[in-house]
Amino acid sequence: MTLSLSRARHATVPWLLPAAILVGWQAAVSAGLISSRVMPAPLDVVRAGWEAGRTGELWTNLGVSTLRALAGFAVGGGIGFVLGLANGLSRLSERLTDTSVQMVRNVPHLSLIPLVILWFGIGEEAKLFLVALGVFFPIYANTLHGIRSVDPALVEMGRVYGMSRAELFRRVVLPGALPSIFVGLRYALGIMWLTLIVAETISASSGLGYMAMQAREFMLVDVVVLAILIYALLGKLADTFTRALERSCLSWNPAYRSA
Amino acid sequence: MLDTLSRDAPAPLDAPPREPVAPARRQPAHGLAVTVHDLHKSFDGHPVITGLDLFLPAGGFTAIVGRSGCGKSTLLRTILGLETPTAGRVQVEAGAATSPRAAPSQRIMFQEPRLLPWASVLDNVAVGLTGLGTRAERRDRAQAALAEVGLADKAGQWPATLSGGQRQRVALARALVSGPGLLALDEPLGALDALTRIGMQELIERIWQAQGFTALLVTHDVSEAVALADRILVMEGGRIALDLRVDVPRPRRRGEPDLARLEGRILDHLLGTPQAA
Repeated sequence: MTLSLSRARHATVPWLLPAAILVGWQAAVSAGLISSRVMPAPLDVVRAGWEAGRTGELWTNLGVSTLRALAGFAVGGGIGFVLGLANGLSRLSERLTDTSVQMVRNVPHLSLIPLVILWFGIGEEAKLFLVALGVFFPIYANTLHGIRSVDPALVEMGRVYGMSRAELFRRVVLPGALPSIFVGLRYALGIMWLTLIVAETISASSGLGYMAMQAREFMLVDVVVLAILIYALLGKLADTFTRALERSCLSWNPAYRSA
Repeated sequence: MLDTLSRDAPAPLDAPPREPVAPARRQPAHGLAVTVHDLHKSFDGHPVITGLDLFLPAGGFTAIVGRSGCGKSTLLRTILGLETPTAGRVQVEAGAATSPRAAPSQRIMFQEPRLLPWASVLDNVAVGLTGLGTRAERRDRAQAALAEVGLADKAGQWPATLSGGQRQRVALARALVSGPGLLALDEPLGALDALTRIGMQELIERIWQAQGFTALLVTHDVSEAVALADRILVMEGGRIALDLRVDVPRPRRRGEPDLARLEGRILDHLLGTPQAA
Protein backbone atom coordinates (compact mmCIF):
# COMPACT_ATOMS: atom_id res chain seq x y z
CA MET A 1 0.00 0.00 0.00
CA THR A 2 2.61 2.48 1.12
CA LEU A 3 4.87 1.12 -1.56
CA SER A 4 2.42 1.69 -4.40
CA LEU A 5 1.61 5.08 -2.96
CA SER A 6 5.23 6.11 -2.89
CA ARG A 7 5.70 4.72 -6.37
CA ALA A 8 2.74 6.76 -7.63
CA ARG A 9 4.24 9.82 -6.01
CA HIS A 10 7.57 8.96 -7.58
CA ALA A 11 5.94 8.83 -11.01
CA THR A 12 4.01 12.09 -10.64
CA VAL A 13 6.85 14.25 -9.37
CA PRO A 14 8.41 14.96 -12.81
CA TRP A 15 5.04 16.16 -14.12
CA LEU A 16 4.29 18.57 -11.28
CA LEU A 17 6.20 21.44 -12.84
CA PRO A 18 4.66 21.20 -16.34
CA ALA A 19 1.19 20.91 -14.77
CA ALA A 20 1.76 23.97 -12.58
CA ILE A 21 2.93 25.97 -15.59
CA LEU A 22 -0.19 24.99 -17.54
CA VAL A 23 -2.49 25.98 -14.68
CA GLY A 24 -0.71 29.32 -14.19
CA TRP A 25 -0.78 29.96 -17.91
CA GLN A 26 -4.53 29.29 -18.17
CA ALA A 27 -5.18 31.50 -15.17
CA ALA A 28 -3.06 34.35 -16.58
CA VAL A 29 -4.86 34.31 -19.95
CA SER A 30 -8.32 33.94 -18.39
CA ALA A 31 -7.64 36.86 -16.07
CA GLY A 32 -6.62 38.94 -19.08
CA LEU A 33 -3.02 39.36 -17.92
CA ILE A 34 -1.81 38.04 -21.26
CA SER A 35 -3.52 38.92 -24.54
CA SER A 36 -4.85 35.77 -26.21
CA ARG A 37 -3.44 37.09 -29.48
CA VAL A 38 0.04 36.87 -28.01
CA MET A 39 -0.45 33.62 -26.16
CA PRO A 40 -3.57 31.51 -26.45
CA ALA A 41 -4.93 29.80 -23.34
CA PRO A 42 -4.09 26.11 -22.96
CA LEU A 43 -7.74 25.25 -23.43
CA ASP A 44 -7.74 27.05 -26.79
CA VAL A 45 -4.70 25.05 -27.77
CA VAL A 46 -6.47 21.85 -26.78
CA ARG A 47 -9.44 22.97 -28.85
CA ALA A 48 -7.18 23.69 -31.82
CA GLY A 49 -5.60 20.28 -31.39
CA TRP A 50 -9.00 18.62 -31.25
CA GLU A 51 -10.08 20.47 -34.40
CA ALA A 52 -6.89 19.61 -36.29
CA GLY A 53 -7.20 16.02 -35.13
CA ARG A 54 -10.84 15.83 -36.22
CA THR A 55 -10.11 17.02 -39.74
CA GLY A 56 -7.16 14.63 -39.94
CA GLU A 57 -4.77 17.47 -40.80
CA LEU A 58 -2.78 16.92 -37.60
CA TRP A 59 -2.29 13.20 -38.16
CA THR A 60 -1.29 13.61 -41.79
CA ASN A 61 1.32 16.22 -40.90
CA LEU A 62 2.52 14.28 -37.87
CA GLY A 63 2.85 11.14 -39.98
CA VAL A 64 4.74 12.94 -42.73
CA SER A 65 7.15 14.52 -40.26
CA THR A 66 7.76 11.28 -38.35
CA LEU A 67 8.48 9.40 -41.53
CA ARG A 68 10.94 12.07 -42.67
CA ALA A 69 12.61 12.11 -39.29
CA LEU A 70 13.03 8.34 -39.16
CA ALA A 71 14.23 8.05 -42.74
CA GLY A 72 16.82 10.78 -42.24
CA PHE A 73 17.85 9.23 -38.95
CA ALA A 74 18.24 5.79 -40.49
CA VAL A 75 20.41 7.09 -43.33
CA GLY A 76 22.57 9.52 -41.35
CA GLY A 77 22.76 7.37 -38.23
CA GLY A 78 23.56 4.28 -40.27
CA ILE A 79 26.40 5.94 -42.12
CA GLY A 80 27.72 7.56 -38.91
CA PHE A 81 27.65 4.25 -37.08
CA VAL A 82 29.41 2.32 -39.80
CA LEU A 83 32.06 5.00 -40.32
CA GLY A 84 32.53 5.30 -36.55
CA LEU A 85 33.09 1.55 -36.33
CA ALA A 86 35.45 1.55 -39.28
CA ASN A 87 37.52 4.42 -37.94
CA GLY A 88 37.52 2.99 -34.43
CA LEU A 89 38.80 -0.35 -35.65
CA SER A 90 41.14 0.67 -38.46
CA ARG A 91 43.90 3.25 -38.25
CA LEU A 92 44.04 3.47 -42.02
CA SER A 93 40.36 4.26 -42.36
CA GLU A 94 40.66 6.88 -39.65
CA ARG A 95 43.65 8.57 -41.22
CA LEU A 96 41.87 8.56 -44.53
CA THR A 97 38.55 10.05 -43.45
CA ASP A 98 38.67 11.63 -40.01
CA THR A 99 40.21 14.95 -41.05
CA SER A 100 37.59 15.48 -43.73
CA VAL A 101 34.80 14.53 -41.37
CA GLN A 102 36.05 16.95 -38.73
CA MET A 103 36.18 19.76 -41.27
CA VAL A 104 32.65 19.16 -42.48
CA ARG A 105 31.49 18.83 -38.88
CA ASN A 106 32.41 22.40 -38.13
CA VAL A 107 30.05 23.71 -40.79
CA PRO A 108 26.64 24.27 -39.14
CA HIS A 109 24.50 21.93 -41.15
CA LEU A 110 21.52 24.30 -41.14
CA SER A 111 23.63 26.85 -43.02
CA LEU A 112 23.36 24.50 -45.98
CA ILE A 113 19.61 25.11 -46.29
CA PRO A 114 19.90 27.63 -49.19
CA LEU A 115 22.22 25.27 -51.04
CA VAL A 116 19.98 22.30 -50.33
CA ILE A 117 16.94 24.17 -51.66
CA LEU A 118 18.89 24.96 -54.82
CA TRP A 119 19.84 21.30 -55.18
CA PHE A 120 16.65 19.53 -54.24
CA GLY A 121 13.97 22.21 -54.27
CA ILE A 122 11.54 21.73 -51.40
CA GLY A 123 11.06 18.02 -52.05
CA GLU A 124 11.61 15.14 -49.64
CA GLU A 125 15.29 14.79 -50.51
CA ALA A 126 16.08 18.18 -49.01
CA LYS A 127 14.68 17.23 -45.60
CA LEU A 128 16.19 13.78 -45.69
CA PHE A 129 19.59 15.20 -46.56
CA LEU A 130 19.57 17.78 -43.78
CA VAL A 131 18.35 15.36 -41.10
CA ALA A 132 20.84 12.71 -42.18
CA LEU A 133 23.67 15.23 -42.06
CA GLY A 134 22.66 16.51 -38.63
CA VAL A 135 22.30 13.03 -37.16
CA PHE A 136 25.50 11.71 -38.67
CA PHE A 137 28.00 13.58 -36.49
CA PRO A 138 26.87 12.74 -32.97
CA ILE A 139 26.50 9.08 -33.89
CA TYR A 140 29.85 9.02 -35.67
CA ALA A 141 31.79 10.82 -32.95
CA ASN A 142 30.35 8.82 -30.07
CA THR A 143 30.71 5.46 -31.80
CA LEU A 144 34.35 6.27 -32.53
CA HIS A 145 34.94 7.46 -28.99
CA GLY A 146 33.18 4.40 -27.55
CA ILE A 147 35.38 2.01 -29.46
CA ARG A 148 38.51 3.94 -28.58
CA SER A 149 37.68 3.86 -24.90
CA VAL A 150 37.17 0.10 -24.63
CA ASP A 151 39.48 -1.16 -21.89
CA PRO A 152 42.60 -2.55 -23.64
CA ALA A 153 43.03 -4.96 -20.73
CA LEU A 154 39.75 -6.62 -21.69
CA VAL A 155 40.80 -6.79 -25.33
CA GLU A 156 44.06 -8.46 -24.31
CA MET A 157 42.09 -10.89 -22.14
CA GLY A 158 39.88 -11.75 -25.13
CA ARG A 159 42.92 -12.40 -27.29
CA VAL A 160 44.58 -14.56 -24.66
CA TYR A 161 41.40 -16.61 -24.44
CA GLY A 162 41.53 -17.26 -28.15
CA MET A 163 38.72 -15.05 -29.43
CA SER A 164 38.77 -14.45 -33.17
CA ARG A 165 38.58 -10.89 -34.44
CA ALA A 166 34.86 -11.22 -35.08
CA GLU A 167 34.26 -12.65 -31.62
CA LEU A 168 36.40 -10.01 -30.02
CA PHE A 169 34.32 -7.35 -31.72
CA ARG A 170 30.97 -8.92 -30.82
CA ARG A 171 31.75 -9.88 -27.23
CA VAL A 172 34.21 -7.22 -26.08
CA VAL A 173 34.49 -4.14 -28.30
CA LEU A 174 30.87 -3.50 -29.24
CA PRO A 175 29.38 -4.01 -25.76
CA GLY A 176 32.14 -1.84 -24.35
CA ALA A 177 31.36 0.94 -26.81
CA LEU A 178 27.61 0.73 -26.29
CA PRO A 179 27.23 3.26 -23.43
CA SER A 180 28.97 5.88 -25.54
CA ILE A 181 26.94 4.96 -28.63
CA PHE A 182 23.79 5.55 -26.62
CA VAL A 183 24.96 9.02 -25.69
CA GLY A 184 25.34 9.70 -29.40
CA LEU A 185 21.88 8.28 -30.05
CA ARG A 186 20.25 10.65 -27.60
CA TYR A 187 22.05 13.67 -29.01
CA ALA A 188 21.14 12.57 -32.51
CA LEU A 189 17.45 12.24 -31.69
CA GLY A 190 17.41 15.81 -30.44
CA ILE A 191 19.18 17.08 -33.53
CA MET A 192 16.87 15.02 -35.70
CA TRP A 193 13.73 16.93 -34.57
CA LEU A 194 15.49 20.26 -34.53
CA THR A 195 16.75 19.90 -38.09
CA LEU A 196 13.48 18.59 -39.41
CA ILE A 197 11.39 21.37 -37.90
CA VAL A 198 13.71 24.07 -39.18
CA ALA A 199 13.77 22.51 -42.63
CA GLU A 200 10.00 22.14 -42.70
CA THR A 201 9.49 25.69 -41.51
CA ILE A 202 11.60 27.05 -44.32
CA SER A 203 10.85 24.76 -47.21
CA ALA A 204 8.00 22.31 -47.21
CA SER A 205 4.47 21.71 -48.34
CA SER A 206 3.49 19.34 -45.55
CA GLY A 207 4.60 18.33 -42.07
CA LEU A 208 4.41 19.83 -38.59
CA GLY A 209 6.73 22.73 -39.36
CA TYR A 210 4.69 23.52 -42.43
CA MET A 211 1.52 23.38 -40.34
CA ALA A 212 2.97 25.92 -37.91
CA MET A 213 4.06 28.27 -40.72
CA GLN A 214 0.64 28.09 -42.36
CA ALA A 215 -0.98 28.93 -39.04
CA ARG A 216 1.28 31.94 -38.70
CA GLU A 217 0.11 33.22 -42.09
CA PHE A 218 -3.46 33.17 -40.79
CA MET A 219 -2.58 34.43 -37.30
CA LEU A 220 -3.74 31.15 -35.74
CA VAL A 221 -1.58 31.46 -32.62
CA ASP A 222 -3.22 28.47 -30.98
CA VAL A 223 -2.12 26.17 -33.82
CA VAL A 224 1.42 27.55 -33.63
CA VAL A 225 1.56 26.80 -29.92
CA LEU A 226 0.00 23.40 -30.55
CA ALA A 227 2.82 22.56 -32.96
CA ILE A 228 5.41 23.67 -30.43
CA LEU A 229 3.84 21.53 -27.72
CA ILE A 230 3.83 18.55 -30.03
CA TYR A 231 7.58 19.04 -30.58
CA ALA A 232 8.06 18.93 -26.83
CA LEU A 233 6.06 15.71 -26.54
CA LEU A 234 7.88 14.10 -29.45
CA GLY A 235 11.21 15.00 -27.90
CA LYS A 236 10.15 13.50 -24.60
CA LEU A 237 8.94 10.39 -26.41
CA ALA A 238 12.26 9.91 -28.18
CA ASP A 239 14.08 10.37 -24.90
CA THR A 240 11.87 7.87 -23.07
CA PHE A 241 12.42 5.37 -25.85
CA THR A 242 16.21 5.73 -25.62
CA ARG A 243 16.16 5.42 -21.87
CA ALA A 244 14.17 2.20 -22.07
CA LEU A 245 16.61 0.87 -24.65
CA GLU A 246 19.55 1.85 -22.46
CA ARG A 247 18.04 0.20 -19.47
CA SER A 248 17.55 -3.08 -21.27
CA CYS A 249 20.88 -3.08 -23.16
CA LEU A 250 23.05 -1.72 -20.36
CA SER A 251 21.48 -3.47 -17.39
CA TRP A 252 24.96 -4.79 -16.48
CA ASN A 253 26.10 -1.24 -15.79
CA PRO A 254 25.19 -0.05 -12.29
CA ALA A 255 24.75 3.50 -13.66
CA TYR A 256 21.85 2.44 -15.87
CA ARG A 257 20.19 -0.15 -13.69
CA SER A 258 16.57 0.70 -12.96
CA ALA A 259 15.94 1.51 -9.32
CA MET B 1 39.53 -1.88 -3.03
CA LEU B 2 35.94 -2.95 -3.16
CA ASP B 3 35.63 -5.54 -0.47
CA THR B 4 36.49 -4.20 2.87
CA LEU B 5 36.02 -6.54 5.75
CA SER B 6 33.03 -4.68 7.09
CA ARG B 7 31.17 -4.94 3.78
CA ASP B 8 31.83 -8.63 3.58
CA ALA B 9 30.59 -9.20 7.07
CA PRO B 10 27.77 -11.63 6.16
CA ALA B 11 30.14 -13.87 4.22
CA PRO B 12 33.29 -13.27 6.19
CA LEU B 13 36.69 -13.19 4.57
CA ASP B 14 35.37 -14.26 1.19
CA ALA B 15 36.56 -17.66 2.20
CA PRO B 16 36.23 -20.47 -0.29
CA PRO B 17 34.10 -23.38 0.86
CA ARG B 18 35.65 -25.77 3.33
CA GLU B 19 34.23 -28.99 1.93
CA PRO B 20 36.79 -31.21 0.27
CA VAL B 21 37.12 -30.69 -3.48
CA ALA B 22 35.52 -33.25 -5.70
CA PRO B 23 38.09 -35.87 -6.64
CA ALA B 24 40.18 -34.78 -9.60
CA ARG B 25 38.27 -35.41 -12.79
CA ARG B 26 41.31 -35.05 -14.94
CA GLN B 27 44.47 -37.06 -14.88
CA PRO B 28 47.02 -35.42 -12.63
CA ALA B 29 50.34 -34.40 -14.16
CA HIS B 30 48.88 -33.27 -17.45
CA GLY B 31 50.95 -30.16 -17.01
CA LEU B 32 53.21 -28.58 -19.58
CA ALA B 33 56.95 -28.19 -19.21
CA VAL B 34 58.54 -24.84 -19.95
CA THR B 35 62.03 -24.35 -21.31
CA VAL B 36 63.50 -20.88 -21.60
CA HIS B 37 66.81 -20.63 -23.38
CA ASP B 38 69.06 -17.57 -23.34
CA LEU B 39 66.11 -15.20 -23.30
CA HIS B 40 66.63 -11.50 -23.90
CA LYS B 41 63.87 -8.94 -23.87
CA SER B 42 64.22 -5.20 -24.08
CA PHE B 43 61.72 -2.39 -24.46
CA ASP B 44 62.87 0.57 -26.57
CA GLY B 45 66.45 -0.47 -26.08
CA HIS B 46 66.12 -0.88 -22.31
CA PRO B 47 67.06 -4.43 -21.43
CA VAL B 48 64.59 -6.04 -19.03
CA ILE B 49 65.61 -9.67 -19.31
CA THR B 50 69.24 -10.43 -20.06
CA GLY B 51 70.21 -13.96 -20.97
CA LEU B 52 67.86 -16.02 -18.83
CA ASP B 53 67.79 -19.82 -18.81
CA LEU B 54 65.07 -21.72 -17.07
CA PHE B 55 63.41 -25.11 -17.02
CA LEU B 56 60.07 -25.66 -15.35
CA PRO B 57 59.12 -29.33 -15.13
CA ALA B 58 55.53 -30.33 -15.83
CA GLY B 59 53.19 -30.13 -12.88
CA GLY B 60 55.41 -28.03 -10.63
CA PHE B 61 54.47 -24.91 -8.73
CA THR B 62 57.09 -22.23 -9.23
CA ALA B 63 57.03 -18.73 -7.83
CA ILE B 64 59.04 -15.81 -9.15
CA VAL B 65 59.71 -13.01 -6.70
CA GLY B 66 61.65 -9.83 -7.05
CA ARG B 67 61.50 -6.10 -6.67
CA SER B 68 59.21 -4.25 -9.03
CA GLY B 69 60.90 -3.70 -12.36
CA CYS B 70 63.10 -6.79 -12.07
CA GLY B 71 61.50 -8.31 -15.16
CA LYS B 72 59.40 -10.99 -13.49
CA SER B 73 56.12 -9.99 -15.13
CA THR B 74 57.87 -9.62 -18.48
CA LEU B 75 59.28 -13.13 -18.12
CA LEU B 76 55.84 -14.52 -17.43
CA ARG B 77 54.25 -12.62 -20.31
CA THR B 78 57.00 -13.80 -22.65
CA ILE B 79 56.51 -17.43 -21.63
CA LEU B 80 52.79 -17.03 -22.34
CA GLY B 81 53.51 -15.51 -25.73
CA LEU B 82 52.10 -12.10 -24.83
CA GLU B 83 55.48 -10.52 -25.56
CA THR B 84 57.88 -11.60 -28.28
CA PRO B 85 61.42 -12.28 -27.11
CA THR B 86 64.07 -9.90 -28.41
CA ALA B 87 66.39 -12.91 -28.59
CA GLY B 88 66.35 -16.45 -27.31
CA ARG B 89 63.72 -19.12 -27.21
CA VAL B 90 60.73 -20.13 -25.11
CA GLN B 91 59.33 -23.60 -25.47
CA VAL B 92 56.18 -24.88 -23.83
CA GLU B 93 55.60 -28.59 -24.33
CA ALA B 94 53.81 -31.57 -22.93
CA GLY B 95 55.68 -33.33 -20.14
CA ALA B 96 56.74 -36.95 -20.38
CA ALA B 97 53.87 -38.26 -18.27
CA THR B 98 51.25 -36.59 -20.39
CA SER B 99 48.93 -38.43 -22.67
CA PRO B 100 49.43 -37.11 -26.18
CA ARG B 101 45.73 -36.36 -26.51
CA ALA B 102 45.69 -33.74 -23.79
CA ALA B 103 45.23 -30.36 -25.44
CA PRO B 104 48.28 -28.27 -24.60
CA SER B 105 46.82 -25.02 -23.39
CA GLN B 106 48.03 -22.09 -21.36
CA ARG B 107 46.04 -19.71 -19.28
CA ILE B 108 46.90 -16.55 -17.43
CA MET B 109 45.30 -14.90 -14.45
CA PHE B 110 45.93 -11.17 -14.37
CA GLN B 111 46.31 -8.87 -11.42
CA GLU B 112 42.84 -7.48 -12.14
CA PRO B 113 39.99 -9.92 -12.72
CA ARG B 114 39.34 -8.54 -16.24
CA LEU B 115 35.80 -9.88 -16.33
CA LEU B 116 33.46 -8.67 -19.05
CA PRO B 117 31.08 -6.40 -17.13
CA TRP B 118 28.28 -7.00 -19.66
CA ALA B 119 28.36 -10.79 -19.38
CA SER B 120 26.94 -12.82 -16.52
CA VAL B 121 29.33 -14.58 -14.16
CA LEU B 122 28.59 -17.87 -15.92
CA ASP B 123 29.23 -16.42 -19.39
CA ASN B 124 32.46 -14.91 -18.12
CA VAL B 125 33.67 -18.33 -17.04
CA ALA B 126 32.54 -19.72 -20.39
CA VAL B 127 34.95 -17.26 -22.06
CA GLY B 128 37.61 -19.73 -20.91
CA LEU B 129 36.07 -22.27 -23.30
CA THR B 130 36.02 -20.01 -26.36
CA GLY B 131 36.00 -22.20 -29.44
CA LEU B 132 35.51 -25.44 -27.50
CA GLY B 133 32.39 -27.58 -27.65
CA THR B 134 28.76 -26.60 -27.98
CA ARG B 135 27.08 -23.80 -26.10
CA ALA B 136 25.34 -26.22 -23.76
CA GLU B 137 28.62 -28.02 -23.02
CA ARG B 138 30.34 -24.75 -22.31
CA ARG B 139 27.62 -23.75 -19.88
CA ASP B 140 27.79 -27.08 -18.07
CA ARG B 141 31.55 -26.95 -17.73
CA ALA B 142 31.47 -23.32 -16.68
CA GLN B 143 28.90 -24.14 -14.03
CA ALA B 144 31.11 -26.94 -12.72
CA ALA B 145 34.13 -24.63 -12.60
CA LEU B 146 32.12 -22.04 -10.70
CA ALA B 147 31.12 -24.69 -8.18
CA GLU B 148 34.78 -25.55 -7.77
CA VAL B 149 35.59 -22.01 -6.65
CA GLY B 150 32.48 -21.93 -4.45
CA LEU B 151 30.43 -19.48 -6.51
CA ALA B 152 27.83 -21.79 -8.04
CA ASP B 153 25.03 -19.60 -6.74
CA LYS B 154 26.39 -16.45 -8.42
CA ALA B 155 26.18 -17.82 -11.97
CA GLY B 156 23.44 -15.48 -13.15
CA GLN B 157 24.76 -12.28 -11.57
CA TRP B 158 26.64 -9.39 -13.13
CA PRO B 159 30.30 -9.08 -12.13
CA ALA B 160 29.58 -5.59 -10.75
CA THR B 161 27.56 -7.16 -7.93
CA LEU B 162 30.48 -9.28 -6.67
CA SER B 163 33.16 -8.37 -4.17
CA GLY B 164 36.78 -8.05 -5.30
CA GLY B 165 37.67 -11.47 -3.95
CA GLN B 166 34.69 -13.10 -5.61
CA ARG B 167 35.58 -11.51 -8.94
CA GLN B 168 39.08 -12.90 -8.72
CA ARG B 169 37.61 -16.34 -8.01
CA VAL B 170 35.48 -16.02 -11.15
CA ALA B 171 38.68 -15.15 -13.03
CA LEU B 172 40.31 -18.26 -11.56
CA ALA B 173 37.37 -20.40 -12.67
CA ARG B 174 37.64 -18.88 -16.16
CA ALA B 175 41.36 -19.65 -16.28
CA LEU B 176 40.87 -23.24 -15.16
CA VAL B 177 37.64 -24.25 -16.86
CA SER B 178 39.40 -25.56 -19.96
CA GLY B 179 41.77 -27.70 -17.90
CA PRO B 180 44.95 -25.89 -18.98
CA GLY B 181 48.38 -27.46 -18.79
CA LEU B 182 50.03 -24.23 -17.66
CA LEU B 183 48.54 -21.60 -15.44
CA ALA B 184 50.41 -18.33 -15.15
CA LEU B 185 49.45 -16.09 -12.27
CA ASP B 186 50.54 -12.48 -12.62
CA GLU B 187 50.23 -11.13 -9.07
CA PRO B 188 46.60 -12.19 -9.07
CA LEU B 189 46.08 -11.56 -5.38
CA GLY B 190 47.88 -8.24 -5.08
CA ALA B 191 44.70 -6.19 -4.90
CA LEU B 192 42.97 -8.30 -2.27
CA ASP B 193 42.93 -7.73 1.47
CA ALA B 194 45.14 -9.99 3.57
CA LEU B 195 42.48 -12.43 4.74
CA THR B 196 40.78 -12.81 1.37
CA ARG B 197 44.21 -13.40 -0.07
CA ILE B 198 44.96 -16.31 2.25
CA GLY B 199 41.62 -17.88 1.32
CA MET B 200 42.49 -17.53 -2.37
CA GLN B 201 45.95 -19.01 -1.85
CA GLU B 202 44.43 -22.09 -0.26
CA LEU B 203 41.94 -22.37 -3.09
CA ILE B 204 44.65 -22.14 -5.74
CA GLU B 205 46.78 -24.73 -3.94
CA ARG B 206 43.85 -27.13 -3.63
CA ILE B 207 42.89 -26.88 -7.29
CA TRP B 208 46.51 -27.17 -8.39
CA GLN B 209 46.88 -30.39 -6.38
CA ALA B 210 43.67 -31.77 -7.83
CA GLN B 211 44.38 -30.90 -11.46
CA GLY B 212 48.13 -31.16 -11.72
CA PHE B 213 48.77 -28.27 -14.10
CA THR B 214 52.10 -26.46 -14.13
CA ALA B 215 51.74 -23.28 -12.09
CA LEU B 216 53.90 -20.21 -12.45
CA LEU B 217 53.22 -17.46 -9.96
CA VAL B 218 54.69 -13.99 -10.15
CA THR B 219 54.40 -12.12 -6.89
CA HIS B 220 56.12 -9.54 -4.77
CA ASP B 221 54.69 -11.10 -1.63
CA VAL B 222 57.45 -13.41 -0.44
CA SER B 223 55.26 -15.11 2.17
CA GLU B 224 52.79 -15.98 -0.56
CA ALA B 225 55.53 -17.52 -2.68
CA VAL B 226 56.80 -19.49 0.29
CA ALA B 227 53.35 -20.76 1.19
CA LEU B 228 52.46 -21.96 -2.30
CA ALA B 229 55.48 -22.90 -4.35
CA ASP B 230 57.84 -25.89 -4.46
CA ARG B 231 60.42 -23.73 -6.06
CA ILE B 232 61.15 -20.06 -5.73
CA LEU B 233 63.13 -18.01 -8.21
CA VAL B 234 64.40 -14.65 -7.09
CA MET B 235 64.90 -12.32 -10.04
CA GLU B 236 67.27 -9.44 -10.07
CA GLY B 237 68.32 -7.21 -12.97
CA GLY B 238 66.78 -9.44 -15.62
CA ARG B 239 68.36 -12.66 -14.36
CA ILE B 240 67.62 -15.36 -11.85
CA ALA B 241 69.68 -14.54 -8.80
CA LEU B 242 68.50 -17.29 -6.51
CA ASP B 243 66.83 -20.63 -7.19
CA LEU B 244 65.44 -22.28 -4.06
CA ARG B 245 63.52 -25.48 -3.45
CA VAL B 246 60.78 -25.44 -0.84
CA ASP B 247 60.70 -28.91 0.65
CA VAL B 248 58.09 -28.20 3.28
CA PRO B 249 55.31 -30.81 3.04
CA ARG B 250 51.73 -29.76 2.32
CA PRO B 251 49.36 -28.73 3.70
CA ARG B 252 51.61 -25.99 4.98
CA ARG B 253 50.70 -24.14 8.09
CA ARG B 254 51.16 -20.41 7.91
CA GLY B 255 54.00 -19.26 10.14
CA GLU B 256 55.76 -22.62 10.20
CA PRO B 257 59.40 -22.07 11.28
CA ASP B 258 60.80 -23.62 8.09
CA LEU B 259 58.72 -21.29 5.95
CA ALA B 260 59.59 -18.29 8.09
CA ARG B 261 63.30 -19.07 7.82
CA LEU B 262 63.05 -19.37 4.05
CA GLU B 263 61.05 -16.17 3.80
CA GLY B 264 63.67 -14.38 5.88
CA ARG B 265 66.43 -15.65 3.66
CA ILE B 266 64.72 -14.43 0.49
CA LEU B 267 63.89 -11.08 2.03
CA ASP B 268 67.49 -10.66 3.17
CA HIS B 269 68.60 -11.33 -0.35
CA LEU B 270 66.11 -8.90 -1.84
CA LEU B 271 66.98 -6.20 0.65
CA GLY B 272 70.67 -6.79 0.12
CA THR B 273 71.45 -7.57 3.76
CA PRO B 274 74.16 -10.17 4.19
CA GLN B 275 72.65 -13.28 5.66
CA ALA B 276 73.44 -13.94 9.30
CA ALA B 277 75.40 -17.15 9.73
